[in-house]
Amino acid sequence: MESRRPPPSPLVDSYVVPGDVVLDLSEMTNQTIKLGTGLRQECDTIQATSAGMLRLSKPNKYWVESSQKRYIPSVEDTVLGIVVDTKPDNFVVDIKGPNLAFLPVLAFEGGTRRNIPKFEIGTLIYARVVKANSIMNPELSCMDVTGKAAEFGELKGGYVFDSSTGMSRMLLSSPTCPVLEALGKKLSFEIAVGLNGRVWVNAPAADTVILVSNAIMRSESLSGIKQRAMVENLLERLS
Amino acid sequence: MAATAMDHDGGDMVTPGELLGNSLTLVAGRGAYTEGRSVRASVTGHRRIVPPAPGSDDQRSTVEVVGHKAHGAVPQPGSIVIARITKVMARMASADIMCVDSKAIKEKFTGMIRQQDVRATEIDKVDMYQSYRPGDIVRAVVLSLGDARAYYLSTAKNELGVVSAQSIAGGTLVPISWTEMQCDLTGQIEQRKVAKVE
Repeated sequence: MESRRPPPSPLVDSYVVPGDVVLDLSEMTNQTIKLGTGLRQECDTIQATSAGMLRLSKPNKYWVESSQKRYIPSVEDTVLGIVVDTKPDNFVVDIKGPNLAFLPVLAFEGGTRRNIPKFEIGTLIYARVVKANSIMNPELSCMDVTGKAAEFGELKGGYVFDSSTGMSRMLLSSPTCPVLEALGKKLSFEIAVGLNGRVWVNAPAADTVILVSNAIMRSESLSGIKQRAMVENLLERLS
Repeated sequence: MAATAMDHDGGDMVTPGELLGNSLTLVAGRGAYTEGRSVRASVTGHRRIVPPAPGSDDQRSTVEVVGHKAHGAVPQPGSIVIARITKVMARMASADIMCVDSKAIKEKFTGMIRQQDVRATEIDKVDMYQSYRPGDIVRAVVLSLGDARAYYLSTAKNELGVVSAQSIAGGTLVPISWTEMQCDLTGQIEQRKVAKVE
């Protein structure tokens, strides 16, 4: 291992577009650089392949953070899928990606051939991506790594809407994103966010569901302060 | 009738169904079949009699029909084929067979490599994505005629597997072990089930 750290790319935390050279490898020897999404090695340089913000996680992991409406499946993402078909061994689930995903009928806690869940077409499922690559259909699971159900499975009732992938990541960030925090102070609701750009909201009263969904849909381009102000505005109209 | 370009041993031209002889005096060879007491031709060609092997129990001559226009190679169980992978799925990969026993084929044949036929060891832990990618050229052996859609192929031997492949960056992959290949442009290592080329 080299004792000298590689100098970080000058473009870290700024916007890059496809083709930008992020790192020149000819000056570095014996370094290990880990590339996440949106970056590609071209002979001696690392170039961006998608538009977004370049991020660095010390010491050597780079990736490009971008927000799109289309989802590219990657392993260990939690997603909201809709069942479109049932096969003998799998449920076929739409996760807004380039391919339909397969959810094995046994990938549930305590799942055996005798107690296969009966999901109809149109059922909303919260699941985890187990296998994802460019050539095969992704595989999902409704268990976590240890084999427990966690919160995976069917989501009943409520309301589903689409968001961008960046919006989903913002809703899932910690500390809690401002719009959810402001809504949670006054209303009680439950929410499930899929990293594939789907959000599910449920509450006892229909107008709560509508208010929460509208607030979230409007908050994508707003800053934290503006998000809170918008939520205040909406809540005043309700009361 | 014009003689075909293929060489034949002078016999008469016969057509399918034509009577070649009696099964008491002749054994049906290549291109012929036995029906009750008669031996008939099954393909178009020239009749040829092959004398019996000395010292064998059966003293009947073998009649063959040869010289018909070659249909091109047909994969038979046990033949080595070169195929290009077209689709990789969770438990199997589909391939287009291109050559059979170093002869190029004229019609299209489809082969299928199942997860348990990829390699000889630890067959239930095979990851198809780390064995083949679409576009790879593989050398495989035909296991059986399979079902109506595809022949069953196997690469479960050292000399079978990926022979030539392209990397993600577009360069040629060079084998470095039986599970890894390296791109010659970027140096990235990709996983494949690699054939050991002598």
